[in-house]
Amino acid sequence: MSIIIENVNKHFSGFHALQDVNLTIPTGELVALLGPSGCGKTSLLRIIAGLEQPDSGSIRFNGEDTTRRHVRERGVGFVFQPYALFHHMTVFDNVAFGLTVRPRAERPSRGEIADRVHDLLKLVQLEFVADRYPSQLSGGQRQRIALARALAVEPKVLLLDEPFGALDANVRKDLRRWLRRLHDEIHVTSVFVTHDQEEAMEVSSRVVVMSKGRVEQVGTPDEVYGAPATEFVSRFLGSVNLFKGRIHDGWAHIGDVRAPLPHDADTQAGAAVAHLRPHEVSIADSPEGAIAAGCVRGILSIGPMVRIEIERDGEENGLVEVEMVRERYLRSPLALGQKVFIKPRNLRVFASGAG
Amino acid sequence: MATLALRRRSVIPGFGITIGFTLLYLSLIILIPLSATFIKSTQLGWGGFWTTVTAPRVVASYKLSFGASFLAAAINLVFGMLVAWVLVRYRFPGRRLIDALVDLPFALPTAVAGIALTAIYAPNGWLGQYLEPLGIKVAFTPTGVLVALIFIGLPFVVRTVQPVLQELKPELEEAAASLGASRRQTIFRVLMPSLWPALLTGFALAFARALGEYGSVIFIAGNMPMVSEITPLLIITKLEQYDYAGATAIAVAMLVISFLLLLIINLLQWWGRHRHQ
Repeated sequence: MSIIIENVNKHFSGFHALQDVNLTIPTGELVALLGPSGCGKTSLLRIIAGLEQPDSGSIRFNGEDTTRRHVRERGVGFVFQPYALFHHMTVFDNVAFGLTVRPRAERPSRGEIADRVHDLLKLVQLEFVADRYPSQLSGGQRQRIALARALAVEPKVLLLDEPFGALDANVRKDLRRWLRRLHDEIHVTSVFVTHDQEEAMEVSSRVVVMSKGRVEQVGTPDEVYGAPATEFVSRFLGSVNLFKGRIHDGWAHIGDVRAPLPHDADTQAGAAVAHLRPHEVSIADSPEGAIAAGCVRGILSIGPMVRIEIERDGEENGLVEVEMVRERYLRSPLALGQKVFIKPRNLRVFASGAG
Repeated sequence: MATLALRRRSVIPGFGITIGFTLLYLSLIILIPLSATFIKSTQLGWGGFWTTVTAPRVVASYKLSFGASFLAAAINLVFGMLVAWVLVRYRFPGRRLIDALVDLPFALPTAVAGIALTAIYAPNGWLGQYLEPLGIKVAFTPTGVLVALIFIGLPFVVRTVQPVLQELKPELEEAAASLGASRRQTIFRVLMPSLWPALLTGFALAFARALGEYGSVIFIAGNMPMVSEITPLLIITKLEQYDYAGATAIAVAMLVISFLLLLIINLLQWWGRHRHQ
């Protein structure tokens, strides 16, 4: 089931939560809506589900307009961040709920319901908790039961709101991998909301980066990280070092480096800013091709990585972070206070003020 | 091993002293006065006791007291829940004012409530004058008793249900809807099972309060023997006639019935709670 979101707008008491959002989610994909809190990602998810109505715009499932259709009839499975399990029912009854509320004519027999629930519990690897109550389960188990319950009604679309938000780091990691595998198995079109870029990259096949009610970029995890479309995306998906420069004659000039401009930028004149990730920096001792110069202020050994902090000449608080694998660092070790030049291996330039 | 278990220390100390104090306190405040009632009533002897508590006028008063209290608690159950629901689920101007209004029956001297209700529902009162032509008599009838008991019982249901409703997150209802449940199914299969222990507590409190109510009822009831006379009033009447033994006998009968009813409600609650654990 593909989902097409067209020109969706949503206001909350004077606050423009979603601004002309357009998005296409192809059938069978696992898509992450990624952004900082307040960027509108949860509102968008709730609008797709039908729990919220857009002020304007439309939602289409497989080409069919479902904008005004009640959540009950939309055929979506929704997994809430605080689980929202029915605590007076056993796990079995929770998972069976969606089947037992069907009108008599469409309701499967008791035996069929039992089989289906047990299949689902097997799928989420929690067969042994069928007779327990939600309060007797751990957070990770509850989340998997919430997922099983949503899957019981055979939804055409699975929507998950910060599914791992309330769990501790280890459980999170396991569940991410598990969700990825589950999706490979059942292939239902899925959308999940997260503010954690690592989670988005690890789980999804496509990432939608959002900021301030707008979609900033849509792409595979590799695309959004490797070729961020906007300054915001570049900053949000990992730490970056910023370098200021000028635009002149269709090129950006930053330090001693001449870099190509993004195709949509004003190419004649103005300010530019270059983003350089810590692991894309080379440290050299000659000034040719350097973007900046500075001296080494800190060397931190963090497991397999070494992080070097370089204070840029003539700039206060101008610390540049460099990361390299331990082996590479050991080939040419540095000393504190040493004068070095910073050379970019991969520089991304944005017209200044564009993010 | 047995001695070891006996000597085992709890992580929460002070059990001995707190239970000792609790028992002493409960004895002084509740048990001793109550047992005095029981002892006093034995003066009548079994035969006299039985004749007193089963006199037709007394039996009629039980019917009114327990019947009206039960009905009032049941009505409060429905509308109290509605009030709690409105106060918890919606935001509207004046919400805090209504929230504060709910507590008024707690604070108002019951005699004042009784007089106010009588003034309103009397045949020439604000509301009474419109009800009279319709053939509805409220003041000086059992209906009046019911109205007074509904008035004093409402806050008990609202205040016990409110915090539980607050805990029931809207996500539960959204989850039920997304799974295809109709609004009806959501209410009866998701909300009510979580609410009913609190509803039962509210009901029990409103019921118990109504049974013991005296001040507001006697003004509006008219107190006609066999028709609109409540049991507490009969007890007072006997006291005024210096029939202490007779008064305590009726009190004991009422205590026993009330205790049994409240016990049943408590058992229902216990059962309700332990079903889910």
